[in-house]
Amino acid sequence: MPSTSPPCPSKLFLNKHGAHSRHTEVSGITGNVCVWLLGALFLIVLSAPAVVAAQSPSQALEEEAQGIDRMIMCPVCPAETIDQAQVEISFQMRAVVREMLAEGKTREEILNYFVDRYGPDILAAPPKSGVNLLAWILPIVGVAAGLGGGFLVIRAMTGRGTVAPSSRVGSVRRDSVEPTAETAGVAAASATPMDDPELAPYLEIADRLLSSRRGMLPAVGWSEGSPGERSADSGDPSHPGSDLDLRDAEGPPPDRGEA
Amino acid sequence: MPKDLPRTEGKPDVGDLGAISLWLALALAAYSTVGSMAGKLRGSVALVDSAQAAMYATVVVLFVSTMSLVVSFIGRDFEIAYVARHSDLAMPDRFTWVAFYAGNEGSLLYIAMVLSVMAAIAVWRAPERVRDALPYTTGVLMLVLTFFLAVTAVMANPFDKLPFVPQDGEGINPLLTHFGMFFHPPALMAGLVGISIPFAFALGSLLARKTGDEWVDPGRVWGIITWALLAGGLLLGSWWAYTILGWGGYWFWDPVENAAFMPWLALTAFIHSIMVQKRRGMFRMWNIALVNVAFGLALYGMFMNRGGSVPSVHSFGASTLGWVFLLFLAVGVIVPFVIFFWRYPLLKSAQNLDSMLSREAAFLVNNLLLLAIAFVTLWGTVYPLLSRLISDEEITVARPFYDQVNGPLMLGLVFLMGVGPMLPWRRANWASVRRALAIPAGVALLAVVVLLAVGLRKEYALAAFGLAAFVAAGILMEWFRGARARHRSSRLGDPLQPGRAPKGENYAVAFLHLIWANRPRYGGYIVHLSVLMVALGIVGTSFFNSQKDVVLSPGETASIENYEIKYLGTTQVPFGNRVEFISSVEVYRDGELLDTISPNRAFYPSFNMASTRAAIRSTPVEDFYVVPSENLPDGDVGFRILVNPLIWWMWVAGPVMVLGTIIALWPEPSRVPVRAPARAPAAAAT
Repeated sequence: MPSTSPPCPSKLFLNKHGAHSRHTEVSGITGNVCVWLLGALFLIVLSAPAVVAAQSPSQALEEEAQGIDRMIMCPVCPAETIDQAQVEISFQMRAVVREMLAEGKTREEILNYFVDRYGPDILAAPPKSGVNLLAWILPIVGVAAGLGGGFLVIRAMTGRGTVAPSSRVGSVRRDSVEPTAETAGVAAASATPMDDPELAPYLEIADRLLSSRRGMLPAVGWSEGSPGERSADSGDPSHPGSDLDLRDAEGPPPDRGEA
Repeated sequence: MPKDLPRTEGKPDVGDLGAISLWLALALAAYSTVGSMAGKLRGSVALVDSAQAAMYATVVVLFVSTMSLVVSFIGRDFEIAYVARHSDLAMPDRFTWVAFYAGNEGSLLYIAMVLSVMAAIAVWRAPERVRDALPYTTGVLMLVLTFFLAVTAVMANPFDKLPFVPQDGEGINPLLTHFGMFFHPPALMAGLVGISIPFAFALGSLLARKTGDEWVDPGRVWGIITWALLAGGLLLGSWWAYTILGWGGYWFWDPVENAAFMPWLALTAFIHSIMVQKRRGMFRMWNIALVNVAFGLALYGMFMNRGGSVPSVHSFGASTLGWVFLLFLAVGVIVPFVIFFWRYPLLKSAQNLDSMLSREAAFLVNNLLLLAIAFVTLWGTVYPLLSRLISDEEITVARPFYDQVNGPLMLGLVFLMGVGPMLPWRRANWASVRRALAIPAGVALLAVVVLLAVGLRKEYALAAFGLAAFVAAGILMEWFRGARARHRSSRLGDPLQPGRAPKGENYAVAFLHLIWANRPRYGGYIVHLSVLMVALGIVGTSFFNSQKDVVLSPGETASIENYEIKYLGTTQVPFGNRVEFISSVEVYRDGELLDTISPNRAFYPSFNMASTRAAIRSTPVEDFYVVPSENLPDGDVGFRILVNPLIWWMWVAGPVMVLGTIIALWPEPSRVPVRAPARAPAAAAT
């Protein structure tokens, strides 16, 4: 974040990234960057095998052993794996894991060895077989169903609400508290339901502000303080949203700020 | 000299004062519950007022009770069973604070104290708009308080006395004598019970048929406060585990960790979606449902903590409190949802989503993902019990399960963290979204390419780093654009105040003003950055750490990555309650001596328990971590050595998160609800 003599570095940046007619230039430049990056990516991926550091076999074996340690619970301590627990039995079990690995046993075989001796609850995660497959499948199905359901709900909500895009951001709050908006449908947003005549002067200011410079408008708290102060604060052009919105010709004006 | 003294009969002491005030607090809370509800229902203002006064009185009375226990601890009044069990003469006085909540009894008193203080502040500071619902809110809060006080007074009274006075106490659990313990348990307990406050505002407005947006402001503020308490508590707990549990990790999806994590997830969802209601008047039902879920999960968490049925390092020991909490959990989940559905017809929100491509929709997806993680976690903690019922054999669900199932969901969440804030409310068009996301996406791609170039080959980690870069770039870009716009407009002068001369704000000032002008938004960005820092730590330690267990004799060396340690020897230092084995270890990096560190391991004979203090050399790049895991009789020591990349960021995230939360919560200059002040015409004329 430049702090002193601000114009110079930022100007360089701005000119490059199109302080004017950003519409085309930004996407053009980023498009070029993307192509360039993708190219670089391909080159690197092609040369990948050369970069990968070679791992010594003993190191690989130790890593595998640690992976197995983390899958076996310590039989005497609550909720800790043998990798964590610092009791004699877990030291011994870790030694057994390394011995078996040295003998060339696979992860599967080692885990089975411990299950045979201590029962299935020695495993830190349910086995992915038999009844216990449920433990894995249900959350995945549940999450998928939840997200799918959520998607349908969102779509239904957007489908139902064919509210005509209002040109006045200020009306957002008002139609939201208007109980008849639900039934009124399309009319709701454009009808400007004014339930509080006291609000009128503020809405007027709001609308004027919006037409002069489209910034954020606080939904609440638009009431006190000296008017100048409030407007400087709320119709703030510094808001990044407003920066974007100004170039946003198509579509309804997005109200990106927060009160 | 007799070992134990006979107890002094008949003479009232501080402990009795504590017990009496505890019962008094229970009576006041019960009265306040009934009084507020009945007073509101019968329209009796006097009754409601007296019930509110009773609520304020609980604070005073509970303060007396709490101080009584503190005084008993400081005086080491071992006649009180709780003091005898959790302290001894050797305990330094500063651990009184920790000993206070070291067991069920004291922690329940602490919870009650915190709840009464929070409730009093919440009701006292409640905005005018919720006045109508406030008696119900008070009633709900006091009902929760009554439950905790009743359990404390009847089943786990910290002032119960022993039939004799032991000469010395049993001492404080050595694992608790750690700086992190001063804040981790109290923050978590306060966070868990604090969820009652937004919950009570929501339920209160349902009961009062005020189903609009009245409760949104206090709900949001208290939601964020409790969210931050839980987040801070979880981070401190992780830090504690990292430095003292001696295995080099910080989080292992222990059932009780999960118990605090789940309500935190639900609250995270809540503080996002409540913004949608605040801004757009949408998601009314959803917010109330969410806060109910969060409250239910918090109760579940407290149930797990009190003699829950799942093994955990946090178990408070076998406790008979379990079933009482289970009962309260059932009531606390079922009743609010019954009320919710009873008031359902009133809750229809007037606003519809305008577009799938809007911030509202992004928040909804974020909520779903957060709840999905909570659901997976809940499923994992419950499955062992289910498996016992289904197949008669108990199945463990621990870290590998959560890592595999929750990991991808968390990545999705990070992605949304980058997209959500870039989307406008209501409706975005693809062109503007592409524009807004082009730079962050470019930065992310660049990050991935660079990481690939330096030889990183772990897909998961690549995705995580790429997404982190995406989010960070988005936030920094917003900051830069905002500061730039502010800087420029200040040079142009304010069009609304043509008289004022342009002054030209420099970028630093513009940036600070930017944050100050829209605190909820920019505070939120800072919190997002802190979440990214935590994510960095998680990815660094999960995918790139190296670990080694070695047994060394004095003079021997061991190496890991480009580090080497040389074990010099161990000295034994006896203390009143423990023997410390302090090892001396030289650390070399690339053959160069960095430091001599002293990891230590203490043995507590009275607990038959060892506690370790890892020696950690921490840098933003990586931690070098040495902990003695066993001291062999011949002077050899088993060390665990770790190199934990990027974990430093995780601990720094804590203060950053607190800062962001404070900024987001800092009161706005005018919080008075929309009401035309005398100055209105002047404003219109400007």
